[in-house]
Amino acid sequence: MAAITPADHGHGHDSALHHQFEDIGQQNDSYIVGMWVFLSTEVMFFGALFFIYTLYRWNYQLDFYIAHEHLDVKLGAINTTVLLFSSFTMVMAVQSAQLKKRMFVIGYLAVTLVCAFIFLTIKYFEYSSKLADHLYPGAGFATDGHAAFGEHAMEAGKLAVNMNHAQLFYSLYFGMTGLHAVHIIAGILVILALIRLWFNKAKSVTLDYVPTEMVGLYWHFVDLVWIFLFPLFYLMPKPH
Amino acid sequence: MASNSSHSHEHHIVSTGTYFLTLLALVGLMILTVWIAGFNLPSIGPFSGTVVNQVVALVIAVAKALLVITIFMGVRWSSTLAKLWVASGFVTLILLFGILGDYTTRHYEHQRGWEARPDGALPRSTPDEEVIPPANANDLNVKIRQ
Amino acid sequence: MSSTVIPSGELQPHVDETNYLNVSHTISSWLLTGDHKRIALLYLVSTSFFFFLGSVAAGLIRYELTSPAGVVLESDTYNKVFSSHGILMVFTFLVVAIPAIFGNFLVPLMIGARDLAFPRLNLASWYMYMTGGTLILAGMVFGGVDTGWTFYTPYSSMYSNGQVTMVIIGIFIAGFSTITTGINFVVTIHKMRAPGMTWFRLPLFIWAMYATSLMMILATPVVAITLLLVVYERTFKLPIFSPELGGDPVLFQHLFWFYSHPAVYIMILPAFAVISELIANFSRKRIFGYHFVAFSSLAIAGLGFLVWGHHMFVSSQSMYESIVFSLISFLVAVPSAIKIFNWMATMYKGNIRLQSPMIYAIAFLMIFTVGGLTGLFLGAAGTDIHLTATYFVVAHFHYVMVGGTMLAFLGALHYWWPKMTGRMFADGIARVNAVIVFIGFNLTFFPQFIVGWLGMPRRYHYYYFAPEFQAYHIMSTLGASVLGLGFILPAFYLTKSLFTGEKASANPWGAHGLEWETSSPPPTSNFLETPIVMDEVYDFDPVSDHAEDLRRIAEEQQRKLNDSNRPSEDHN
Repeated sequence: MAAITPADHGHGHDSALHHQFEDIGQQNDSYIVGMWVFLSTEVMFFGALFFIYTLYRWNYQLDFYIAHEHLDVKLGAINTTVLLFSSFTMVMAVQSAQLKKRMFVIGYLAVTLVCAFIFLTIKYFEYSSKLADHLYPGAGFATDGHAAFGEHAMEAGKLAVNMNHAQLFYSLYFGMTGLHAVHIIAGILVILALIRLWFNKAKSVTLDYVPTEMVGLYWHFVDLVWIFLFPLFYLMPKPH
Repeated sequence: MASNSSHSHEHHIVSTGTYFLTLLALVGLMILTVWIAGFNLPSIGPFSGTVVNQVVALVIAVAKALLVITIFMGVRWSSTLAKLWVASGFVTLILLFGILGDYTTRHYEHQRGWEARPDGALPRSTPDEEVIPPANANDLNVKIRQ
Repeated sequence: MSSTVIPSGELQPHVDETNYLNVSHTISSWLLTGDHKRIALLYLVSTSFFFFLGSVAAGLIRYELTSPAGVVLESDTYNKVFSSHGILMVFTFLVVAIPAIFGNFLVPLMIGARDLAFPRLNLASWYMYMTGGTLILAGMVFGGVDTGWTFYTPYSSMYSNGQVTMVIIGIFIAGFSTITTGINFVVTIHKMRAPGMTWFRLPLFIWAMYATSLMMILATPVVAITLLLVVYERTFKLPIFSPELGGDPVLFQHLFWFYSHPAVYIMILPAFAVISELIANFSRKRIFGYHFVAFSSLAIAGLGFLVWGHHMFVSSQSMYESIVFSLISFLVAVPSAIKIFNWMATMYKGNIRLQSPMIYAIAFLMIFTVGGLTGLFLGAAGTDIHLTATYFVVAHFHYVMVGGTMLAFLGALHYWWPKMTGRMFADGIARVNAVIVFIGFNLTFFPQFIVGWLGMPRRYHYYYFAPEFQAYHIMSTLGASVLGLGFILPAFYLTKSLFTGEKASANPWGAHGLEWETSSPPPTSNFLETPIVMDEVYDFDPVSDHAEDLRRIAEEQQRKLNDSNRPSEDHN
């Protein structure tokens, strides 16, 4: 027949193991797979927005191009670098968790947090400049394309951009980067909670590195979204 | 197939050097994409320069994404099941892009008053100032859009 | 009974031992539980509540339609009533009920696990469901929505004056409940099967739940973001999906149906899951074509992502897309048909016992076949032009949703009631009730097919232009009353069984499956010891086990008798 499995699976001395799992390997695998299943839902969540962007941009290429010129490529590039660096510090935090180097974990997580705040600050300045020029979606959207977009909005003295389509661009811009920023804020809260757990030497994070890894996976996903947002919004090629 | 095996639990620790090199590659790709975006690339075959620029930017973005996914997110060392789920999200997203099939084929039909517009696929009725004459005298005597 | 082994031979604890129900009686032990079985019961109570509210709305609809000029509702109010009916039934009942109640309860039991992979996430899932459902109800109390459950733009985003934002946020939150349930099931089924439980030894219930979870996980986020965009539009007066700024209303429909078509398969696949179990166990026969039924669940999930456009044949979608969608819609009917044929083949030469769950299952076969076939009329783009937005569509989806999912729900409720509560109900009245439901259902919805192809539009509260429809509507309303009786009665006799029903043994139906190897109700950790699986679950003997045992006993007794009659011969 087969071996009898005792009801107590030695859970007493390994409190990182939850009761429904047989061993820590099964538990860790389950958590990692579970996190990826969740991230696949996020891919569909953001993906639908990317689809809407694709459709509208394909239809209104020139208007989207002229509208996008108000975006500052330098700030976007700095933001991209900041997020890439924060991904690096996050994965270093996970590595330190695997090596059980507690102070390094806290240090790297703290740097990740700083990067997140820098990102949000730059976003704040970007958004402010849009709001100042009435380029926010809604009833108050700018009606004067020349004032909003400057000379390259004009062609032979006439306004070359359809302000309705420009408003579509900005509604997508604020919608997608805004949703991304919401995810960054959620990430900040989770990282703060994680730092607190490590600081307090909580068994849930010190005994097993997987909770830290799961936060890392989430953070890298947020970075992934920005990797696609940056070229699509900031580096639009001129249609001709 | 025993579900409680732990051999996929790698505990594979990646070196700092690998991570740092990946970061350098990512930043390098970012600088590359910003630099290339400054040029108006020439057209290749039937694809206009705009399309070429866009494709290059997306290819670089995909390369960055692959670096993040395989190395930073550790998928290279993950179980097959995790890899399958990484793929599933993106495969389903491609299915979603099948909606474009509607928009790309709409102008194949000839609807009087909804002639294909050169600047896109969203259907817009022909504006009033462009009057459509009836196709032939046998048409139903119905005012379509005048 | 089946080829599983409880190693120590300890089948069930003594009757007065603790089980998951009596282990603790405090409110917090229920509201803060991680036990998947308790969470399943929490879902049972809450989904029944929402179902009841949705039924009230249905009753109002049927009452209103008994007269060509309407009876008691204004047009605006009627719009809010049918919208409420749709939203409550789809988002708070049908998508949730079988997976969250029976999936939650049975998935760990059927695979031999102690709990789901993420018990706290499971509890959070229930709280998200309750929050979402409460918000939806609040929206209905504070004005309601009149957009239909489909929320088509630009009406819902730019012009409707109802509580669209509140209701959509409720649906959004409830959607996350679905997603987390799906995540839990997928990881549990992959990683927590008992030793020896290979994929092809799994009950078909698990296969169908897995396919359902795939769709829950990958499709729900799309409707979440789409509905969120409608809220965004309403908040900022910003037409993304309407033509004022250059948007496209059909884009909303594409994105909405990209989820909502898989959603209807999310509603029916768990019903298929239940029916597989009922038919196999009440025919006491191996499921015919196990592999085909298992893979057909996956095929439905996969193909279900490719047919959303068949809801949009008249939406100005490209004709060529319509052709493709129509073709794939015909293809997706094939796996469902495979299941129906396989179930019927399972019943052939089986030892059929017509207890109440089996009556529901047989009724399902008949009703779902009609519903599925009428779907083909609608899937063919040419006939759909005439049938769309008529009562034919309404009848079709009620045949598959009510006649399909609801019947399977009732069958599941009766079948696993003794396992969940430890009490047996009176099967006699349950069988009568099943027949009442069958009769009431057909009386309600068959006339709707007829009145639909005659031209009755859906979502209209009057039909004074066609007073000849009244006879059909009255028949339908009469049927609805009978159907309502059929839904109310179980509440009474099942509740009564909690107090006066006889205590159930571990396996009152003589069924196969790991869930029947443990006591009724099970202990909190499901099994006293981890079971070890040796063979597939449907390993019935074609001849009744009981008859085989009796025959063997009779032979042995006869032999003993013969031996005792000839003692001298044997002892020489």
